[in-house]
Order: sequence, then structure tokens, then C-alpha cells
Amino acid sequence: MKKALILSLVFLMLFAFGATAGAKTLKVGLDADPVTLDPQVQLSGGMLQLSHWVFDPLVRWTQEMTFEPRLATKWKRLDDLTIRFYLRKGVKFHSGNPFSAKDVKWSFERMRKSADFKGLLEPFEGCFIVDDYTVDIKTKKPYPLVLNMATYFFAMDSEFYTGTDKNGQPKDMLLKVGESFALNNASGTGPFIVTKREHNVVLEMKRNKNYWDTQSRGNVTKFILTPIKENATRVAALLSGDVDFIVPVPPQDFNRIEKDKNLKLVLINGGRIITFQMNQKRRPELGNKKVRQAIVHAVNNAGIVKKIMKNKATLAAQQGPKGYQGYKESLKPRYDLRKAKALMKEAGYANGFEITMMAPNNRYVNDAKIAEATAQMLGKIGIKVNLKTMPKAQYWNEFDARAADMMMIGWHSDTEDSGNFSEFLMMCFNKETGYGQYNSGYCNPKVDELVIAAQSETDLAKRANILQEIEQILYDDAAFVPFHWQNHAYGAKKNLMIKPILNSMNFPYFGDLVVK
Amino acid sequence: MIVFIIRRVIQAIFVMLIISLVGFSIKDQIGDPVRDLVGERVTPAERAEIAEQMGLNDPFLTQYFRFVKNAVTKGDLGRSFLYNKPNLEVILGKAPATIELVFGTALIIIFVSLPLGVYCALRPKSILSRFTMSFSTLGVSMPVFLTAILLIFLFAIHWQILPSYGRGETVDLFGLGWWETGMLTIDGLLHLILPCVSLSTLMLPLFIRLVRSEMMEVLETEYIKFAWAKGLSPTRVWMVHAFKNTLLPVITVFGVQIGIMFAFTLLTELVFQWPGMGFMFLEAVHRADLSLLIAYLVVVATIFTAVNTVVDILYGFINPTIRIAGTK
Amino acid sequence: MRTKFQKFKESYFLYSFKRDKVAIFSFVVLTIFLLLALTAPWVAPMDPYDAVNIDIMNSEIPPVWMEEGSREFLLGTDNQGRDMLSTMLYGLRTSIVIGLGAVALQGIIGVIVGLFAGYIGGKTDAVLMRLADIQFSFPYLMVAILMSAIFQVAFGLGSFERLAVPLLIVIIGLSNWPMFARTIRASVIGEKNKEYVEAAKVIGLPTWTIIFRHILPNSLTSVMVISTIQVANAVMSEAALSFLGLGMPVTKPSLGSLIRAGQEFFFSGSWWITVFPGIWLVVFVLVINLLGDWLRDVLNPKLYKG
Repeated sequence: MKKALILSLVFLMLFAFGATAGAKTLKVGLDADPVTLDPQVQLSGGMLQLSHWVFDPLVRWTQEMTFEPRLATKWKRLDDLTIRFYLRKGVKFHSGNPFSAKDVKWSFERMRKSADFKGLLEPFEGCFIVDDYTVDIKTKKPYPLVLNMATYFFAMDSEFYTGTDKNGQPKDMLLKVGESFALNNASGTGPFIVTKREHNVVLEMKRNKNYWDTQSRGNVTKFILTPIKENATRVAALLSGDVDFIVPVPPQDFNRIEKDKNLKLVLINGGRIITFQMNQKRRPELGNKKVRQAIVHAVNNAGIVKKIMKNKATLAAQQGPKGYQGYKESLKPRYDLRKAKALMKEAGYANGFEITMMAPNNRYVNDAKIAEATAQMLGKIGIKVNLKTMPKAQYWNEFDARAADMMMIGWHSDTEDSGNFSEFLMMCFNKETGYGQYNSGYCNPKVDELVIAAQSETDLAKRANILQEIEQILYDDAAFVPFHWQNHAYGAKKNLMIKPILNSMNFPYFGDLVVK
Repeated sequence: MIVFIIRRVIQAIFVMLIISLVGFSIKDQIGDPVRDLVGERVTPAERAEIAEQMGLNDPFLTQYFRFVKNAVTKGDLGRSFLYNKPNLEVILGKAPATIELVFGTALIIIFVSLPLGVYCALRPKSILSRFTMSFSTLGVSMPVFLTAILLIFLFAIHWQILPSYGRGETVDLFGLGWWETGMLTIDGLLHLILPCVSLSTLMLPLFIRLVRSEMMEVLETEYIKFAWAKGLSPTRVWMVHAFKNTLLPVITVFGVQIGIMFAFTLLTELVFQWPGMGFMFLEAVHRADLSLLIAYLVVVATIFTAVNTVVDILYGFINPTIRIAGTK
Repeated sequence: MRTKFQKFKESYFLYSFKRDKVAIFSFVVLTIFLLLALTAPWVAPMDPYDAVNIDIMNSEIPPVWMEEGSREFLLGTDNQGRDMLSTMLYGLRTSIVIGLGAVALQGIIGVIVGLFAGYIGGKTDAVLMRLADIQFSFPYLMVAILMSAIFQVAFGLGSFERLAVPLLIVIIGLSNWPMFARTIRASVIGEKNKEYVEAAKVIGLPTWTIIFRHILPNSLTSVMVISTIQVANAVMSEAALSFLGLGMPVTKPSLGSLIRAGQEFFFSGSWWITVFPGIWLVVFVLVINLLGDWLRDVLNPKLYKG
């Protein structure tokens, strides 16, 4: 009896071991796994990444920030308000259902109901079926960013999501919390099919054998995603060979990964600005321009880039990075401790004062460390900082309440345009319009005026002038403390050809990944 | 006896009510779960609507009574925002990982502390014994997380012979879908080694000392002297007569210490990213999933009260001189 | 009449101390640790809590004997550019303050509860001991985590930095008192039927006089033994809480938070940020434990099990 038991155990082990042996398995370690399988429930980086693996958009961004045809093979502007998309033929969903115009329309209509996407779809009139493989997308007003938005239009399998599930709920129900069919099941046209999912533990996918994109040289047959929250553990997993690919790589480990003979490090420009905002409503001291300037002069952001970011971030003095319309070359970083002290004296605060500061500790790259360094730097001009760092789940709450005198915020423009920064970060906070949603305490009507003007300015040169003027005003006003633009850092084994599949949106297209 | 059990149950219910009440009263401050559910671009108005739908805007007493009502009438401990599953399901799903971690650790403790402890008792002056004893004091003074970090550095990064995180390959035990085990695959077993070793350093010294002192005490008894006098072989005296009598107190302490070990899995699970209950607890704290947190505390309270009650009752049976409070 | 000092000199206590090399060694090391902690502001090369001394450009400098080391920082610097040696000295100071404070608190609560429960007995005893049992049945680490979460919320996140030390004392103290209470109660129950107590009762001394003047002094040996071990435990608890991010704030790091902060850098090559505070902490706890062991053997051999 005992022997039989042992034997069966041995067999079980052998079986389990044998089953894992397969070709071209990709093991990926991310800081978090997608929260659901429903691509329309949450608008977040993680969900969009998943969408690119399991679904396909009409078009997608390339590394050069141009548009690449996916489910739409070509498109054509019919008039000021309409763009016609011609859809790919012969595409099948994971369920086996054929893909056609009705799926695009169905997905579009469903997305409109999602709280997260509603705002983005505001300019659109609707999606109209012309024939089985042609749709017209109409906007309410002339809108220059339709193609940018088409990168968000992932086609869901309308037939698969129609009907009711075992609880009698409609399968396509949009739900954040609770049971719904769409949250746990997915059928897209994408390169990978979900085979197993345990939230916060593992997401397993296998290659879609019938993938329409036969041009793709991607050869990953099995794709295992594990969330590894701790930076150190994630890096350790890559170093020890437990995973093949990780993102993000914390800056302190760049060197180590670059030196490792089996690994490589790839950095892609991200364009997310990291800043501290100074709340003038909470603190009259911060309402004094000289004090704000003193703070900006006291912060050695070059030192932070060099030491904390290990020189792998772009030093910033304004909101939008180079290449954006609003970028103004003449705005230079201005760390100067002596001048900072002088400014404090001029402002009448030679003895300094005490403030509170908050920052997240798991949102941006090395966010808590940047905050800690900043607190020390302000200490040198007599500003005593009470710093509290916290996980983002708590932090956003505090941010909404504008709970500290200085608060950290990072921003990446969803439209890849300078205006977006000011709209969210620098315009006077207004509950109705939603402007300044992430502005904690700077308000300048002149800036508001200019940002609004830029929105409707169609002359590109004029528009650039306006946007640059905004940056100049913010710079002179010391409206915020600029640090740097973050990069995306990827670590991978040498045999993974990851460079071609990366882009500044941080959507690694694993469907196209070649493993040698 | 029945009175005793009823008392204990009432007491447990009381504890749980208080824990959950405290939990609900601080829930607004610990973070906003809605922020974690939606993207950063979603407007405050949209968020407020979602909060309303989830019933998060009700006064906390309303929420509390709803929770208690569901718990009592349906055994429903609410729903986790983070995992989007019923809390109980999440907790039970995580339990196997933690139980296997503790089980593996217990095995290490048993197989190391018994032989070493006995050896130290029999040969107290030998070099190995002295070494073991001083090493065990060092072990007590090492924080578990430091041991864990050092182990990862040496075995996973420097020598690259053991995996650094997680459970590895798991298989479904019994094919019923409620127990994913890592103990039946080679990969899973390899993943168990480092976490178990680091967790065992916490308790191992204690047990080596306990076994040693118990054994020494037993060796001094009349009963053993009598066995020697009978002319039995040393192996027989040591292993059959002395060792057997050493075991009972060791087992008793073991039962108590396992509870403490469960708490310390928190640190091990954090360092090794072990997907067990402790990691889930910390994750729930960080991600403001208070619903899960409260449910977890209630479950833990239930388990501990149940275990304690059973232990007390067993004591009563084994040793009738102990009067259970409440039977007077 | 012999002086107290003479009495002490001839005592068994000192005799066994002098014969035990480990005890002497531990005692010396512990004394050095305490002195260092006490004089940290004068001994330490710099004040790591003062922003003026910290420059981000000095971050992650290795110890002096390594290639890129700097004379200025004997044991190197941490990721913010703090001198490791100074930070460790100040961190030790914090750990000791928290350890002693927490033990004092749990001692006071535990002794009072234990005395009353043991002496008065009956309903009071049942209620108090039940309370202790309930808390004891929860692992103290979990109780501490829960309490620290609640306290952080109750006192507001902004002022946590200033209140961190007293709060940690309260948290660790409150989560660990049943240990004292149980031991004291047991020893009181042993004492209370002895003749001298009976005698005190007969001459009509008030209850509290009997408890504090007569019974307490006789229970003090066990209090002393537990206290030593509990100081070590409290220091470890603080380190664990700080490691979980619930302890000392980053700007005033304790040894636990230093190890935590260094963990990321350990794997990337800057081992000294974790290893030095790690060794520091282990040695400190180790000598306390060794002394505690010795004390237990000398004062109260019966307590050995457990």
C-alpha cells in the first residue's frame, strides 16, 4: 500500500515535470497583472497591454509614433466629421466566430457605457456600419485625433459576449466589482488566448494558432505572466533565470543587468514628467513667488537624475518633453543652492518654515526616494519637511483631498500633446469642467486662457507659440517643481529580440516577439 | 463542558464583532478602493457614482450591520475589490500556499531539532553540541526577513541554484480545484526550500533547546536509571525509554508555536512574494481592500479561537487536574 | 553591618557572572552598545537627521576599504547619501528607546493586571485572564500591524513622523503585555498563601499595600528575566514593523527601515546598506539574548522551559 502510494507520487511528479517541457515559453514578470480580462472595464496601462495581447485594435502605435494598420487595413477621411475604416477580411476570434463590422460597432457602443472610456469618447457621434467590412466613425465636431483614438478601439467578439451567463446576467455586462462573464472570459482576435488566470498570481496564455497576422515573426507559443510587486524580487527573478522579461527595471539595477552576460537592458523614452506641486491655498508662504522659486532652485534635480535615476531619465525644467509642440529649448534646470537661500531671505523667510509633503511609494519609478531626497534638499534652505509616503491606493485619496502642502504627481499626455499636461495639472481646479483635476493649488487665469485658446487653434505655428508661452509663464512663476521625464526600462534575456516590439506607450507587442 | 464551549463561542463572536467594527470605522481612512478600480483619468463624478453603486457611501454603521447580517445569515463575508471574488473564496484559495509553507517548515524543524536536540542532550560537551547551542542563540537573534534576504542573495542570485520567488509549478490536488499544491512537482518543491528554511530559523533554536532540556531531564529520572540497571543497551534506553518521554512536552509546545509561525509567514511571504494569506493580507493593506482585510481577521480569529478551545479541552482530558475556567 | 556593595560582591549572582565568559563578553558588548547609543550625537560623524549633512551626490558610496570608498564615510553611505555609521548609531538609539519603552509599558500593564488577577482571583481574575488569553491567541505581530494601521489613521498621516517613536512604543507595548501578566499572576498565586501574606492580612494592612509592598518584590526576579528577553523581542518587533513599512519613517530610519531600504540595493551590489545594519541589529539582539539566558539560569532555573 505504502509502496503504491510512493510510486503514484513519483509518477505524478514526473508527469507534472514532463508537462512543463515545451517550446518557446515566455515568462514575464510585471509589477502588477491586469485587473480583469474585460478590456473595457478599466483605462490603465496594464489593461491596454493585455488588450494588445488578447485583442487587436483598428490601428496601433509604432515605435516611431506612426499608425500601423491592424484590424483596419486602410482608412480614408470622407469629410470633416467622418473617417471610413476598411476592415480586414478572414479574421477569426478565439471562439471561432468570424470578425466583421458588427463587432467593431458593438465594441464601440459598449465602450461608450464604460465609466473609464466615456470621457475619451465624448467627441464621437458614433460608429456606422457601411457593409460587413467597412465602418464610418463620425465625430460631433471636427476632431484631429480620431486615429489616436482608434488605437483604443479593440474589437470584442460580439457573438461570444451575447446572451446571459449562469447567473442570468447579460454576458456583456460592464462591472467593476462582482461576477460577470466578461470579467473572467475573453474572446478577441489577438495573438494569445488566455488559458488560465488567477488574479495577482498568474496569467497564462497560449499562441493563437489561427492568428490572422501571418507576417508576424513572433514565435512565443506559451506566455506566462507573473506579477512581482517588489522591485528587488523582480530583478532577482530575472537574474536567477526564473523569468525571461521584466518591466519596470528599477534604476539601481540597470548596471547589474547590463553587465550580466546573459541579459540585456532596453530603455525607451517615456515622456512622463515627474513633479511636485506647491499648494498656495494651504500655505500662504507658497503663494509667494520668491519662495516657490527658492524651492525650485533648492531642488537638485540633476543630482536626483544622476544618483536615484542612475542617469537614465531626462532632466526636465518644463512639462512637455522635447519633440512636443510646447517644448521651449531656452528653459533650463536651475539648481542653485546659494540663490535659493538668497531668495528665501528676500521673501522674508530666512529662518524657514515647516511644511507637509506626500508622495506615493509604488506609482512612479523610485517615487518615495525622490520625495525623500527632495525633503532633505528643502531642509537645506530651512524648510522642514514632514514627509509621508504611501501606496497609491491611499495616495490618490489624499491627493483628492489636497492633504499636504507639497504633493507629487507624474503625468504622461494621453494625446502626446503639450496641452494635455496643463489641462490636468496646471489649470485652475474646476469641478464642472474637470480641468485641473490633478492640480493641487496653483491657479493663474492667464494660463487657463492660453490653454483654452490652444485647444481650438488650428494654425500649428501659432499653437506652438501659445503652448510655449504657457511653459514660459509656468517656469517664471515656479508653478511646480520639475524633476525629469521617466523612461521605460525593460530587462530581458539576450535571446529575446525585444527592441522591435517596444514603444513609448509601454505596450510590449509580445505577439511579434522573436525568441532565438 | 458544554457551558465552557458555549462561553468560548460567545467570546469568539464578541471578538469578531469588535474586530469588524474597528475595521469598518477606519475603512474610510485606509484608502479608497474605487481609486484602485478605475484609471487615473476618470473624473470624480464618475468615481462617486461607482462608490454609490458599491454601497461605499452609506454610513459606516449601515455598512457594518449589512456585513454582520450577511455573515450571520449567509456565511457571506463580503466581496474583495482587489480580487473581485467573495472574500471567503479568496482567503481559502490562498490558504494552501501558507499551509504548505508552514508544513514544510514544520518538517524541517522536526527533522533537524529532534536529532540535534537529542544529540546535544547525550553529548553535551562535544564540539557539535556546543556549536549547535551557540548557533541556536544566533538563530533566535536573526530577524526572519534578514535571513530570507541573505538566502535569496546566496542561493538565487549568487549561485543561482534555487528559485527566488513564488511557488513555481503547482498541480491541482485531488482534481477538485480547491487545493493547488506545490509539493508534488519538482519545481514546486524547489520553490519551497528557501522560504521554509528562512521561516524555520525562527523556531528551530527554540526546539533544539527544548528537546535537549527535556531529554536531559528525562535522563535524570528514576525510570531511566532503572532501565540502565536492567542492563538494557544504550540505544534502547535512549531511543525507546528516554526519547518517547521527551516527545509529549515537545508536541505540546509545537502546537502553540505553529500559531506564531503563521503570523511570521507574513514576513517570509513578503520577501519571497509567496502567494499565501500573509502576502494577501499585506496586499489588502496596501491596496485599501478593507473588505478583504476584515474578512481575513474574522477568519483568523475563528481559527485561533477554535484551535485554542480544542487545545484547552484536550488538556482537560489529558490532565484532569486542570480545571477549565467556567466549569466551576 | 555590611554595605550593599559588599553584599553584592559576595553574592552568588556576581560569582556566577564572573565564571561565565559568555556573560561577561555579552555584558561588555551590551554596555558598549548602550554607551554608543547614549552618546550618539557626539560620537557619530554627522547628524543623519539634519538635512544640511545629506547630499544626494554622496549616495551609495561603498565602505572606506573598497575601491570607490571615501574617507569621509567609514562604512559608506545609503541611497540618500547618509553616512551609514552615523545612521546606524542613531538607529540603534531609536531601537533602544523603543525597546525599553515598550517593555516598560508592557511591564507596567502586565504587572498590574497580573497582580490584581492573581491576588484578588475570582471574577476579576477570570475576566482579566480571558482578556490576556484572547490577545495571546492572536500572534502579536498581527496585533501590532493592526494597531499601527489604526494609529496611523487616527493620528493623521502628516504628524506620524513626529509621533512615530511614542506610537511604536505604545503599539509594541500593548501587543505584548499578556506575557508579563501571566507570569506575574502565576507567581502571585504561588506567593499569596504563604505565611507572610497571611500575617500581613491579619494585622489589617490594606490590599494594595500587601500587593505592592510584599508580593511584588517577591515576584521581581521573574519580571527581570522576562524583561530582558522582551527587550530583545521588542527590538525585533520594531525592526519587523519597520520592514513592513509600518514603523519608523524614511527620514528617521531605524535599523529595520534601513534593512528594508537596503534590500533593493543589496541585490544590485550595494550590499553595505543592508548588511551593516543587519549585523548591528543581530549582534545587539544576540547579546541581550545571551544575557537573558544567563540571567534565567542564575535567577530562576525553573523558568527554563518555554
